[in-house]
Amino acid sequence: MRRAVSASIAVVGALLLVSLFLNLVPGDPIDVMLGEQASEVDREALRRSVGLDQPWYTQLWTFTRAFVTGELRTSLPPFQKKVLPAIGEALPKTLLLTLASLLISVALAIPLGVAAAARKGTAVDSAAMGVAVAGVALPRFWLGPMLIIVFALWLDWLPVSGAESWRHLVLPSLTLGTALAAFLSRMTRAAMLETLREDFVTTARAKGLHPRVVLWKHAFRNALLPILTVLGLEFGGLLGGAIVTEKVFAWPGMGTLLLTAIEKRDYNTVRATVLVFTLCYVLVNALTDVAYTLVDPRVRRRS
Amino acid sequence: MSPLHRRAALGLLLALVAGCRPERPPDGITVLVEAPPDSLDDRFALTAIGQRISQLIAPGLITFDDTSTPVPSLAEAFRWRSPTVMEFTLRAGLTFHDGTALTAEDVKATYDSVRARPLQSPKTHRYAPIQEVEVVDDRTVRFHLHRPYAPLLAEMSLSILPSERAGLEGVELQAAHPVGAGAFRFESQPDEEHLTLVSFEGFHGGAPAIPRLHFRVVRDETTRVLELLKGRADLVNNAVSPAVLPMLRREPGLRVLTRPGTGYAYLGFNLRSGPLADARVRRAVCHLLEVQPIVEHKFHGLAVPATGMLPATHWAHVPGEGCRYDAAEAARLLDAAGYPDPDGPGGRPRLTLSLKVSTDRFRKSVALVFKEQLARGGVELEVRSLEFGTLFSDIRRGNFEVVTLKWASVMEPDLMRGVYHSSNVPTEGNHWGGWNRGALKDAQLDALLDEASRAEHSERKALYARAQARLDTLLPYAPLWHESSVAVVSRRLEGFEPSAHGLFTPLARARQVAP
Repeated sequence: MRRAVSASIAVVGALLLVSLFLNLVPGDPIDVMLGEQASEVDREALRRSVGLDQPWYTQLWTFTRAFVTGELRTSLPPFQKKVLPAIGEALPKTLLLTLASLLISVALAIPLGVAAAARKGTAVDSAAMGVAVAGVALPRFWLGPMLIIVFALWLDWLPVSGAESWRHLVLPSLTLGTALAAFLSRMTRAAMLETLREDFVTTARAKGLHPRVVLWKHAFRNALLPILTVLGLEFGGLLGGAIVTEKVFAWPGMGTLLLTAIEKRDYNTVRATVLVFTLCYVLVNALTDVAYTLVDPRVRRRS
Repeated sequence: MSPLHRRAALGLLLALVAGCRPERPPDGITVLVEAPPDSLDDRFALTAIGQRISQLIAPGLITFDDTSTPVPSLAEAFRWRSPTVMEFTLRAGLTFHDGTALTAEDVKATYDSVRARPLQSPKTHRYAPIQEVEVVDDRTVRFHLHRPYAPLLAEMSLSILPSERAGLEGVELQAAHPVGAGAFRFESQPDEEHLTLVSFEGFHGGAPAIPRLHFRVVRDETTRVLELLKGRADLVNNAVSPAVLPMLRREPGLRVLTRPGTGYAYLGFNLRSGPLADARVRRAVCHLLEVQPIVEHKFHGLAVPATGMLPATHWAHVPGEGCRYDAAEAARLLDAAGYPDPDGPGGRPRLTLSLKVSTDRFRKSVALVFKEQLARGGVELEVRSLEFGTLFSDIRRGNFEVVTLKWASVMEPDLMRGVYHSSNVPTEGNHWGGWNRGALKDAQLDALLDEASRAEHSERKALYARAQARLDTLLPYAPLWHESSVAVVSRRLEGFEPSAHGLFTPLARARQVAP
């Protein structure tokens, strides 16, 4: 119940904030629709017909009602298309990109972090953490084109941009996932180091278990909780990062939809996109809580 | 790792390697654009991309050549029957993409629709001088005007639509599946980022040799360049910065084609108050600018120093001097205007001005060159880079001292009336809509520009020459340069000659070849 209330507050807060910021952004959507030289009569007629003459709270209420009933349309006449089908097309593409990035970052970070912790103070540890620092430091707008140059131009293995096949997914998800992989590997290393110092690990070793079993079955499972927390929190970061990555790779997801809507001052689509981003974030956090109960019996017992 | 895990990993790796193979370019010609068209219906398209693509699908009665002279398109001839009546004769046998004949009725329906308030077209005001559109016969249409209005021709390139689609009820259909009489026919637009057009057999100029055109939106400039290098794009028209052109020229698979452009870059001054209200200060700033080195080093020669709004290729252009570099004269003017050098060269500045510029990397780098040039003459320039919405809002409300911007394409010289006439100063009353953003007010110039908008074509050039001479004295803008129109094309695209205005219509005469 408490979780549902906090999720609702997050969604309503995001909606209020985005409406406030949209009102603060310079530029009148009527200019975009009618051009600067339109007469005052035409401007006012259009302002009334699209509801921009209403106070912000009335606009927000109209928006919410239309969003919930699926009747929300773009702000731009004369052909105000429904917004939800556009989101329905873009959202799966962004989720696919984000999940692929998440998979890549987990696949890279966990072995790297565990190996670094298991061989603390050795060359393996230094190399793994050096790679992690570089991964965190590289901005996506630089890494993206660099990956394109190497894999699409020099090696000619993958396409530059677009979203026609799974091959188009590789470079954007690598670009998006690298920073998270780097952060996650440092997190994994720290969590593993802490767990490896615990008594039960010493006991397991003393019982003569194979080092790999001690590392993965005993230590890693116990280090998973903080890693899951970071993954849940960073999912929001991935959604935000998707906007830049989608621009670089011309990936037709939610980021592209949002950018186009901002360019056109299409307030309804901007609000709807941000709302969907927030809903995704809230949902992933709820799923993270569920995941806790799956990996940690203590949490399961408490709940 | 267990043998099972090892085999699974190996299988995955093999699958990935098998998937990693060079790509074949799609069938047809791929054009990369930096933003999606705002509309494929010319009556609603305000962005350059929207207008250029909609014109490819549905051309207008006339178009413009590289000297900005109106030339026939759907109309084979046009003439002024009187100062208030313009007559167009359509080509024989014109057909729309759906096979129906294009007649004078369609022309009338299109122009009546764009002038009608219910359509809410952003272009309605442009056709306010038209009183009535008269159909004389199937191929002849007359435009009756309220008053003599010479710039009318500039608005006669509006896409002609089938009459049944021109009204309010046909708008949605035209938006979803546009029909016109252009060289290319609409095939599909699966989303805002992709659009496919196909060659139209019934085009009056003959079916284009390019069977299929794919327009793809790639917002990131670096990615556009990389797609060109990869061989997955065939044309990028005016959408790569001059800095990368020397590198693209060296690529064997690409060609960089240029044409003197019609865009006009300028430094705009705010004449409302402050030091720039004094024409001597404006002239001094003008004398401190060295445009030629910027053209050579920043544009790699792909721009021409400007002397006014109209480029040398324009029919109404008259030669002028522009901002001639003269540091001594600038110093003398600043002394006379009350801005003496407080402590000799290199010390404190004579005066400080603020320059507002967009966040575009290239424009910012050019603004820093201005800063350096003016600093040598004792004028400190504070460069402020603003997001375009904020910059535009500030400019419209007169919240600036100096601004650097450009007019994308100057075709009709009556633009000067919009930009310099005192009735076009943005105010709250006109919802900050006027283009005279520096608030220039000069009765003599107003009279000349008004007269030029009413005069016959043969008299207009002389009137604009006098207006330009007056502008050279008033200096509301410091003219900078006219950027060239630049097309980067692949070896698969032959016969493409870029238009000075950046139009896509030359694609109708180009052809696709095996690389």
